[in-house]
Amino acid sequence: MVEEFVVVSDLQKSFNEHKAVDGVSFSVHKGEIFGLLGPNGAGKTTTIRMLSTVLVADGGEITIGGHSMQRESAAIRSIIGVCPQELALYDDLSALDNMVFFGRMAGMTGLEAKEQAMANLKLMGLVDRAKGKVAKFSGGMKRRINLAIALMGNPQLVFLDEPTVGIDPQSRNHIYENILGLQKKGMTILYTTHYMEEADRLCNRVAIMDGGKIIAMDTPHQLKSQIGPPEKVTLEEVFLRLTGRSLRD
Amino acid sequence: MKDLKHVWFIALKDLKIFTRDRASVFFFVVFPFLFIILFNFLLSGVGSEDERLEMHVLTREPAGGLSYQIIGTIETRDESQLGPGQPKIVWDRDYDAARQAVDDGDLAGFLAFPVDFTAALTSGKPTELEIFADAANVNVRAALNGLAGAISSQIGADRIIINASIALLVESGALAPDTESVNRAVQQMMTDIITAGASGAPETYITFRTEKVGDVEAVNPANFVIPGYLVMFVFFAAAVGSESIVRERKNNTLERLLATSVSRESILGGIFTGSIIKGLAQIIIFWGVGILAYNVDLGLSPSAVIILSFLMVIMSAAFSVMLATIARTQRAAASLAVITSLTLAPLGGCWWPSFLYPDWLQNIAKVTPHAWATTGFNKLMLFGADFSAAVPEMLALIVFTIIFGGIAIWRFRTSAT
Repeated sequence: MVEEFVVVSDLQKSFNEHKAVDGVSFSVHKGEIFGLLGPNGAGKTTTIRMLSTVLVADGGEITIGGHSMQRESAAIRSIIGVCPQELALYDDLSALDNMVFFGRMAGMTGLEAKEQAMANLKLMGLVDRAKGKVAKFSGGMKRRINLAIALMGNPQLVFLDEPTVGIDPQSRNHIYENILGLQKKGMTILYTTHYMEEADRLCNRVAIMDGGKIIAMDTPHQLKSQIGPPEKVTLEEVFLRLTGRSLRD
Repeated sequence: MKDLKHVWFIALKDLKIFTRDRASVFFFVVFPFLFIILFNFLLSGVGSEDERLEMHVLTREPAGGLSYQIIGTIETRDESQLGPGQPKIVWDRDYDAARQAVDDGDLAGFLAFPVDFTAALTSGKPTELEIFADAANVNVRAALNGLAGAISSQIGADRIIINASIALLVESGALAPDTESVNRAVQQMMTDIITAGASGAPETYITFRTEKVGDVEAVNPANFVIPGYLVMFVFFAAAVGSESIVRERKNNTLERLLATSVSRESILGGIFTGSIIKGLAQIIIFWGVGILAYNVDLGLSPSAVIILSFLMVIMSAAFSVMLATIARTQRAAASLAVITSLTLAPLGGCWWPSFLYPDWLQNIAKVTPHAWATTGFNKLMLFGADFSAAVPEMLALIVFTIIFGGIAIWRFRTSAT
């Protein structure tokens, strides 16, 4: 029996006249890596912002870990971690200070936060840069710190919004390995990306969004098999077949 | 309790970032003092007490002459006992050295008693006080002339009394009419009169006092300069701090905090508290340095000065958060901070006293928190007002805080979109 950790039903969000998210429904199984794919402006980030409690939905239902977003948003906050698309870091603080700060904001004691910060830095291969000022880090290092902060407080569900944008293959590969390691520990991960190869490699299931709607949802293997032999078709071909080849802003 | 912890952690984080930025520390603390040093120096001659006049006196008589007693009586032994405007009388011992000092321009002038001063007085012969002064120094020359005139008049008056007394004594047979006896009696009486003056007996039954009209006499320019720049820089620093709030919003760190267990109110409270702590550090440094280095006088009610400073800090913090909610970009926040601070500071009397402004400008200035704050400080530190006199200014700052804080709470957002 699969446990549904995240249940989203008919989610709606508009900005002025523009419907950014239009009746999105999906569920994420516990311990699963679920990919949310789509071109720019598809509504992925808006969906994640609503799921991570920072944006209020206009309509629909969200349940995370058995808690209703409408009634128990505080309980939801206590079990989630967010790695936003932009680098949400304090450049003038050290990596360790950033992590300890967010750990304490997540309810950890000073000692717990420091211990976990060092553990996460080790995980990200940045222990020797713990006291370095983030402003002096490379893009890849900042991305890893951004992810490490999302793991502070031992969340049960982590939102990773394009965590590998603009970094070198080495850093990207390091992040992949970490994400798979987190899944092995039982963490549920909701992942958005533009890199189809990345989604194919990491995600158990993916939902492809376009125009604020989910237009396809299944395992990468099943989606590929819809247009040809899965071993010969790429997820990118599926994506382009579904979303079209016209340029998006 | 959890919310209060969050407020504190956010405030501490802001302080940590602030203290690691050397440019900010320089701008918040050192830079204001460069202004204070400069303007304190420039204003030190404006409205301050007149420079004390120094008059040098000496005698060429042998020791024991009456001139020694006269100079000993008028010489200034403790300058701190002199009242405003009273000259300092210095007893020089060497006539030739004094003349040389005047020739060299080291001394403006002096008054000298002649070698035969006592002999001439007791024998009833005329004598002459000598004034040797730099021709260019009109003030000192006039003062020495005045001193010589006063000594001459006093001795003349005393001499009349003594002559009359001597005549009575001779007539009654109490004093031998020979010259030696009379001269000895005259010298004794002179000595008694001078010694009586020196021992504290009233020199005259008529005293006088001086009242000044015109500009208020600022005993210490720092009493105006430091509060003015405190108001300006506490506000300026807080306003510039709005840029970092906008930067956090743009960097999405505020939104990231919201996704943890932190409430919007805690984020707002943390930013506000951090700004207040920075402002408090500023005022502690301002008053500490002001008192220790510039001898600033907090007036009759130091507690009112402290409360007024604290209210200024809270109001500035509220303005900072409000500014951050209005500005969409960091550049806009920085520009608004500079423009508002550099407009409100002179209008509000931070650079020069607002009570010198024409009435219409003073009325306009009342729309600025600076004017209320500086007026409060001026009342307390320049005009000797007590606590109750500064209450309207305190209330005005509270009203400004409520207005700025209300707008900040209403418009505060954590997201850039």
